[in-house]
Amino acid sequence: MRYVLIVLRVALGIVLLYAAYTKLRQPWLLFAMSIDAYQILPEWAALTLGRTLPWMELALGALLATGFGLRYSAAAATALLGVFFGVMAWSFAKGMKIDCACFGFGEAIGPATLTRDAILLSLSITLTILTFRKVGQALPPANSGV
Amino acid sequence: MRKIVAGSILLLAALCAWGSQMRSRGSSNAPIVIDVYSDFQCPACKMLHERTLGQLAYDYADKGKVYIVHHEYPLPMHAHAMEAACYACAASHVGKYQQVCDVLFRQQETWANNGKVDETVCSILTPDEAKKVRALAKDPAIVAEVKQDIQAGQSAQINQTPTMILTYRAKQYRIPGGNYDILRRFIDQLLSN
Repeated sequence: MRYVLIVLRVALGIVLLYAAYTKLRQPWLLFAMSIDAYQILPEWAALTLGRTLPWMELALGALLATGFGLRYSAAAATALLGVFFGVMAWSFAKGMKIDCACFGFGEAIGPATLTRDAILLSLSITLTILTFRKVGQALPPANSGV
Repeated sequence: MRKIVAGSILLLAALCAWGSQMRSRGSSNAPIVIDVYSDFQCPACKMLHERTLGQLAYDYADKGKVYIVHHEYPLPMHAHAMEAACYACAASHVGKYQQVCDVLFRQQETWANNGKVDETVCSILTPDEAKKVRALAKDPAIVAEVKQDIQAGQSAQINQTPTMILTYRAKQYRIPGGNYDILRRFIDQLLSN
């Protein structure tokens, strides 16, 4: 179980670090434009996220890869990937032909990108469940010693 | 024989380059070049044309800051896109490219449904221009011009329309989406460098 946990957190950490790298090597305004293309957020929010989201991914990726604060970082990664998947699925269902902007630019939302995100989300959910279960097992029973 | 073939290829390449120049706006010496790959039958291309490109041309291309180059990229899934692209290319040879683009995008839903591309295009041309454009649209040189654009798009790995590729100081940026305010901020940032 311990090794499964390590493999999962390192794999997800690397994916998030790579996603952050592909965004940070481009001007942040281009990433803000791709967020705006989803037509969900107002322009100011797209601009704010365009500037901050890659750094959040970087921090989350680093935390997962190193294992610091694993319960919280795993839960945060699940929430983030859940939002990404939801937004992408919604845009695809609406027939929007837009850039996914998951790992840089030039990749349109489609079945392949949705499948990839669904796999990442399920891995992240598994990791979160495992970390919480592990902590639950590690704690002594509430009435121990009574 | 070899000389004839080489001459024909050179002539075709020159025609294509000339055609592309006639489908551009602004000065070719502008510091920023934006290549636009679009399909007349694609709704997102209509949005880009109406909400972004007109303003971009007015604010930057006409002031010599940006050179906009249009490339035809008709998608195979759109039944009348290739015909529309040929008509637009043909119209560029009579100096009416912009007007034809405007009418094709404005009436996109109509001709996409009834297939009357010719009628739509010729509605804004004089009878003399319409005659020339009709003949040119079927000319193999014009079809070759459109196919050259498609090939250029394929080599640039265009996988969706519309796609804008901005080139500044030999560096290329793929522009996702068409929010004009953010694009303007990006262009201003580049120009201030």
